[in-house]
Amino acid sequence: MITLRNVSKTYATNRGPHVVLSGVTAHIPPLTSYGILGKNGSGKSTLLRLISGIEAPDTGEVIRKGRLSWPIGFSGGFNGSLTGEENCRFIARIHGEDIDRVVGFTREFAELGDYFYNPIKTYSSGMKARFGFSVSMAIEFDVYLVDEVTAVGDRRFAQKCRTAFSQRRARSSVIMVSHNLKTIRGYADRAAVLQDGELTLFDSVDEAVRAYGD
Amino acid sequence: MSAWAENLTQRVQVIHALILRETRTRYGKHRLGYLWAIFEPLTFIGMISGLFYLLDRRLPFGMDPLGFLTTGMLPYLLFAKSTTQAVNAVNANSGLLYFPQVKPLDLVSARVVLEFATTAVVFCVIMGGNSLHEGTLQIDDPLRLMAGFVLASALGSSVGLMFCGLCTIYPVIHQIHGPLLRPLFWISGIWFAAEELPTPVLDILSYNPVLHVVELVRSGWFPEYRGMYADPLYVADFILVFLFLGLTLERVARRRFQLS
Repeated sequence: MITLRNVSKTYATNRGPHVVLSGVTAHIPPLTSYGILGKNGSGKSTLLRLISGIEAPDTGEVIRKGRLSWPIGFSGGFNGSLTGEENCRFIARIHGEDIDRVVGFTREFAELGDYFYNPIKTYSSGMKARFGFSVSMAIEFDVYLVDEVTAVGDRRFAQKCRTAFSQRRARSSVIMVSHNLKTIRGYADRAAVLQDGELTLFDSVDEAVRAYGD
Repeated sequence: MSAWAENLTQRVQVIHALILRETRTRYGKHRLGYLWAIFEPLTFIGMISGLFYLLDRRLPFGMDPLGFLTTGMLPYLLFAKSTTQAVNAVNANSGLLYFPQVKPLDLVSARVVLEFATTAVVFCVIMGGNSLHEGTLQIDDPLRLMAGFVLASALGSSVGLMFCGLCTIYPVIHQIHGPLLRPLFWISGIWFAAEELPTPVLDILSYNPVLHVVELVRSGWFPEYRGMYADPLYVADFILVFLFLGLTLERVARRRFQLS
């Protein structure tokens, strides 16, 4: 369960303050997946960061119940000079998970072969995304926060991710940010639109698309 | 209470993971890499004390050069390295803040703990070597000595924390914090014992908290040396002020930490 209560966030830019969120109030019940639609620069990624807690809102509060993932799809948290395996161990440790299980799962799921034991800086962007996605799947989160996974790699791997998610639909949900409707439909049955600092929740993706199109 | 305990467990978990990661990234893949961290201060202290022997530097109260330099260098190095490590902790690892459970203070804590542990190992090597050479294990007041090291670490990290916060507002601090603290190398009693100095000089130098820390460690090691200018409470005052400023700045700067 995630509740946003009057959340505002403004960034200082060269051309004056840029309002990303202005007094957003929303409630996302447990086990409901949402796709968040919005144009580039509308603040989708910021919203995800606020939900995950790595950034604090200027005003208002975010209430989280359950275990939330980090914003998946971004490889900034991985150290390039360490191998995939070493990064896995670190992530398992900070989550208090069994290290061998997380390492084993990720190695199998990511299908990186020997690259798993090579430094992350030698990975292509697709491999990095695959790695990040696989580590997060190794840990049982209540809510997976996903930021633009269009670059997850080939179609077969994308299919594998969707299957893995649908298998745990009874236990966990997804909040996904993307401007690709197809991706969103693959993971969520509800959607929200972020526009001009306001977030509107809809009960179906179609409704959201209609509102988004206007 | 349970939320508090849960938070504490998470801090320990995260800091532990960060320390292991830090040793990997800083000292490389081979365990030998860490040996260098221990070897470096050892050779330095060894060389200077050799020089002291050659020059026949006479130390008061019959202190031997090796013990004298160890008790001067190590607390100073612990202070200086804790500061540098703390200043750069957040900048060097900002990518890790993408994991919600990793907080800026964890990054600082992990590095401070690692620095303390390294100093402890170096100290034990010197103390062990010395006692093998002397035939006895000679430490007059282990608690006093330990207090000196703990205060050196706390002082260094609180100064570093303050600079770390300042850096997010004035990035130039990154360049100038080193030169700013460098004079301490000469006025903190590494090369002289406080009680060797004439009173008017000492009156001024004793404002320096690092001198107090060095004197604490030194008087803990040597039974003959009283360390009249070692005042732990004076150092604690500094720590409290820097810690207060550092934590306040962290609060202010939290929004400014760049997620890169």
